[in-house]
Amino acid sequence: MCHQTVSLAARYLEENGIPTVIMGCAKDIVEYVGVPRFLFSDFPLGNPAGRPHDRESQAFTLELALRVLETAPGPRTTVQNPLIWNASPDWKLDYSNVAVLSPEEIARRRAEFDREKEKARAIRDKSAAE
Amino acid sequence: MTDRPDGSDQAADHDVPIPYRERISTYYQTLGYGAPYRWAHFAEVPFTPLKKPLAQSRLGLVTTAAPYQPDKGDQGPGAPYNGAAKFYRVYSGDTAADHDLRISHIGYDRVHTTATDSNSWFPLPLLREVAKAGRIGELAPRFHGAPTNRSQRVTLEQDCPELLARLVEDRVDAALLVAV
Repeated sequence: MCHQTVSLAARYLEENGIPTVIMGCAKDIVEYVGVPRFLFSDFPLGNPAGRPHDRESQAFTLELALRVLETAPGPRTTVQNPLIWNASPDWKLDYSNVAVLSPEEIARRRAEFDREKEKARAIRDKSAAE
Repeated sequence: MTDRPDGSDQAADHDVPIPYRERISTYYQTLGYGAPYRWAHFAEVPFTPLKKPLAQSRLGLVTTAAPYQPDKGDQGPGAPYNGAAKFYRVYSGDTAADHDLRISHIGYDRVHTTATDSNSWFPLPLLREVAKAGRIGELAPRFHGAPTNRSQRVTLEQDCPELLARLVEDRVDAALLVAV
């Protein structure tokens, strides 16, 4: 949900006069919502601001985002960070990909997901009641 | 890696941005959840140009990361998804101070990344340096945390107006939003 949240927020801020730029790793979600400016890094989710423990990558990524903010000619401007995660693109095959999971693993994840969802619901209900 | 009929040095077929909407939809349907989630989708996209050069602008920072809460279970690095660590109200923090923000409440890639370096999702220390170097005019006094809610209505009607109000109060000229 976080790429959607940030995309909705960027749209809302722009509608109210604040220019924005998004840094993120889920290209399809951000572009599907439709946002003004987006720096896309083709990294595993969790690394929108550069590779971990790689200062140079983080500085490069931030600078690129600032340039997107400065120079985007119009809405739906996406720039792709030229940095790659590692030499092999095979990490892209794993995320939430049922094609690579066994039936036992799917059953285990279903039970785990139910438990976490219940916990989150309890907090949300408490928050809504405040 | 490449297996092109013409033998050229092109990228592998799966070397494309991951189609998350499709992956997630298939994933949850396979896990037994009914109708697929309908993602927000707009034909019109707003656009506000910068009003002055970045070197004279005050930049706001918005994150979806969550403050570490010691009483809310394992929040990593490398923790499994932790629904208890989620937050459902916008929060703010002092950009002059350091913060321990975590992402265990988010569906990041737990196979291929470890969440051991918060600078890869929360660039506050780097933004302070960038401001000091004069690349941006200044960093706003606060950063803001955006709740990641499944309900688009809650995000649009509750959280977005709250974020806007805080950024206006901070008198920002532009905002950087970082989606974990």
